[in-house]
Amino acid sequence: MLDQEGGLVRGTLDLLILKAVSWGPRHGYAVAEWIHYITERELLVEEGPLYTALHRLEKKGWLASEWGYSEANRRARFYRLSASGRRQLRTEASLWDRYARAVGRALAASVPSTA
Amino acid sequence: MRRVFRLRFARRHLEDEIDEELRFHLAMREQSLVARGMAADAARAAARKNFGDVATVRASLLTLDQERERTMQRATFVDELRQDLMYAGRMLRRNPVFTLVAVATLALGIGANTAIFALVDAALLRRLDVPQAEQLVAVGNTARVGARSSGGPRADLLSYPAYQELQRRSRSFAGILASGRTPRLFMTVESSSTEPENPRGRFVSGNYFQVLRVPAFLGRTLAADDDANVGASPVVVISHDYWTRRFDANRSAIGRTIRINGAAVTIVGVTPPGFSGEIVGTNADLWIPLTMQPVIMANDNLLKDPRDAWLLLLGRLAPRHSLEQATSELVALVPRVLNDISPDADFTRSVANLTRSDIYVGDGSRGFSSVRATFFAPLLTLMAGVAVLLLIVCANVANLLLARATARGREMTLRVALGAARWRIVRQLLTESALLSLLGAIAGVFVGWWGSKLLLDIGADGGGAIALNVAVSMPVALFTMVASLLAVVLFGLAPALTTSRVNLASAMRAQSRSVAGGRSSRGGRTSPTRVVIAAQVALSLLLLVGAGVLVRSMWSLQNADIGMDREHLLIANLDARAGGYTGERFPPLVQALVQRMQRLPGVVAVSASENGLFNGTESTSTMSFEGFVARTQDDSLANWDEVGPGYAHAIGSRIIEGRDLTAADHGGTGGGSVLINQTAAQFFFHGGPAVGRRMQMDSMFYEVVGVITDAQDHDLRAMPVRRVYFPLLTPLEIGPLRIIIRTSGNPAAMAPVVRREIIAQDRNLPIYGVEPLSTLLRYSIRAERLVAKLAVGFGALALLLASIGLYGVMSYAISQRTGEIGVRMALGARPADVVRMVLWDATRVVLVGLGVGLVISLFAMRLLSGQLYGVGALDPAAVITAVAVLLMSGALAAFVPAMRGARVPPVEALRES
Repeated sequence: MLDQEGGLVRGTLDLLILKAVSWGPRHGYAVAEWIHYITERELLVEEGPLYTALHRLEKKGWLASEWGYSEANRRARFYRLSASGRRQLRTEASLWDRYARAVGRALAASVPSTA
Repeated sequence: MRRVFRLRFARRHLEDEIDEELRFHLAMREQSLVARGMAADAARAAARKNFGDVATVRASLLTLDQERERTMQRATFVDELRQDLMYAGRMLRRNPVFTLVAVATLALGIGANTAIFALVDAALLRRLDVPQAEQLVAVGNTARVGARSSGGPRADLLSYPAYQELQRRSRSFAGILASGRTPRLFMTVESSSTEPENPRGRFVSGNYFQVLRVPAFLGRTLAADDDANVGASPVVVISHDYWTRRFDANRSAIGRTIRINGAAVTIVGVTPPGFSGEIVGTNADLWIPLTMQPVIMANDNLLKDPRDAWLLLLGRLAPRHSLEQATSELVALVPRVLNDISPDADFTRSVANLTRSDIYVGDGSRGFSSVRATFFAPLLTLMAGVAVLLLIVCANVANLLLARATARGREMTLRVALGAARWRIVRQLLTESALLSLLGAIAGVFVGWWGSKLLLDIGADGGGAIALNVAVSMPVALFTMVASLLAVVLFGLAPALTTSRVNLASAMRAQSRSVAGGRSSRGGRTSPTRVVIAAQVALSLLLLVGAGVLVRSMWSLQNADIGMDREHLLIANLDARAGGYTGERFPPLVQALVQRMQRLPGVVAVSASENGLFNGTESTSTMSFEGFVARTQDDSLANWDEVGPGYAHAIGSRIIEGRDLTAADHGGTGGGSVLINQTAAQFFFHGGPAVGRRMQMDSMFYEVVGVITDAQDHDLRAMPVRRVYFPLLTPLEIGPLRIIIRTSGNPAAMAPVVRREIIAQDRNLPIYGVEPLSTLLRYSIRAERLVAKLAVGFGALALLLASIGLYGVMSYAISQRTGEIGVRMALGARPADVVRMVLWDATRVVLVGLGVGLVISLFAMRLLSGQLYGVGALDPAAVITAVAVLLMSGALAAFVPAMRGARVPPVEALRES
């Protein structure tokens, strides 16, 4: 269930990264900050694996990177969503949604059998 | 540009990027912690702790990035290749005339090379199509497939007793097969009344198929017990091809009885498709057990006497034995075996004189072949010639490309200006060349396939077909590929480099002017196209001189004085023994046939002989002459023949001393009179009188009655040999009988009449052929004729290509110099001056090429001298003709564009500039 990338269900971090850059190019630090903020520091325990995930997604072609300048005018590597990355985000998100809803329904159930 | 950079420094570059990215992250985190009030040192430590193990992450990032980089490069390469190919395809489609000319030229060059190489492969290189052919060892001279020798012991052919002993005593082989020629076979199918046909057969030992490891396709092959007893195995195995051709691939053929030369034999099996025997150049239709030889050839048993040598052997090496071991064993064993089976003291003495070079043992993986020996040197000559032709073809296509480079100068300038790297442009242009070459190679394979068949037809020269399997095999395909790749580099690289050498600044300045091409920007006239043209002229000269010399050599051969009336002789080739004419029955047959021919209108003289002229057999024996002391064994050897009355007159020889043989010299049981030739008289009597001297052969005494001029009767190229003519009209036991008819008119026209007369004499007398001497002569030099014809073809092609090239270059040069010409004419130059100027311009290029070509020819032609007859390697007539032809075609090729240039009105010319 858990893997080494911050103790997350496999694929969850990928999904979060794709979501993080869906509004426009972001550098790795900004992605980390967004995930910390949005998940209230619940999900991303270590930041190193985040970079492994970023580079893996770039290799898959879902992210593209280019060098630019940060708000503080420092050279930084910016990631943005590619067309195939955007498609991937859409599928993964809807899958996740269905999964979460199904599990939620199951946990809320009060009847022991279908009969 | 960045991609090139990444290609070279990929790893460094990726590491730097990763470090910078991680540094940025840690710095940002540290900053935010400091902003929240943490001390600088503590913040740095916390940032690192937050991150995890930096080194591990860094390593995994590098791996990921390198993988990504590789995938991208591959994708880029494929992508660019597709782009290049599509672009190249578009360019070729847009210039259909250029493409057609280039592809056709290349197809010609590549096809010609493929055709010749297919022949080389089939005749010289390819192994027999049997399992583990490399284990086969040949014993005997592999070229003497159709030979038979009676007399002294020899090791280039083996007798049946010698074969049996070798098979029994050698230890190096798992098995040794023997095969020997058959006479002409007459085959009829039992219970059908068709005319007999003449399949090609071979007498083979019973273990033939086991040694070759060829299984039966149908029925069975021969077995070892098929040659256990003489005449006891009336069976025959036929080839898949013959089975299909003659028996409609019908299974009922197995078990059918057929008649071969009168003997009834049963078909027991069919060989697998593709198997055609151990002889390269002839496809056997059927195989008959050796022990059936006395049955098939009535009255002629070749199995008993060790002096009847007619077999070639092929041994399969025993496991863990090498060719070297087998060779050393046989070199020792063959003389011992011959000695042990020797029938008399003469034979034993001659065995003792055999040397190492008399014993033939060698690689047998390529089987036996007489074609191989005949065509070895010619094929290599042709291979060299056709390679030169390919060079010329490449030069021509290179010139076409260079000419086009000019037209594409602006396109290249634009691409460079837009940031294309030079190597990208070179690659693009080479892709175009490769595409051209590929199209050329595809067309070339067809040209080659068709060409090699055509070559075989030309090579056969009306004689027997040369059955070589010239299918486009793996080595041939490989060869074609290498040839076309070579072509790409040769014709593509120079134009690509020239075209891509764009000087942006000057190109922009020149605006509408072209950039690279006919005249270099340095203002001189040594442009690549001119160099290519000069090279073409040089190579063409080489081919033309070669062709000229070979043609002259062929003419010398065809017109050499051969000491006979070469244009008026007709030779009927019969088999007296097979017709039943032996002993006392023989002389009357010869006399009757001669008289019949003498009565025919248009016949000048008639005689007969055993060995015939140019189509027959040779006999060599030891003889002794009165007053002659032999110093070596060879000194007492002479060639001999048995000839009818009036022989010297009949063949058109001249009598130098004494008289011709007459009917009175014949008859009786031996002894009597002989004729000798000039060479023999010189050798044995040292120029002294020969008539009246006595000589001895086979313990019979003869008296020399005449000396005749040397006749070149079996080989045009050989030096005249010592020859003795014995009387034919005695009760002989000979097979071949040749009736020689000297006609007043065209001998070929007499052939049908002569044939009718022979049939009228005895319809059961086998006729092997009735042919004019000139036809036999031509056939004997068919390899030379093939080479001469092809060399002329290659030379003509080279000339054509060089002329086209020169024409193109001069046309372009004129178009470049229109302005200059305009100025000249405006200043008073006449059109004739312009023409002269252009012609001189072209002639200089040609002259340079001729000079270089002469030097090349000087060296290259020496390699040819071994194949020449009656003409020097640098025959002045051939060289002068070649130079003149090239100069004239050069002038002609330049004249047309020159006239065009001279006709341009000055005003227009000036405006154009």
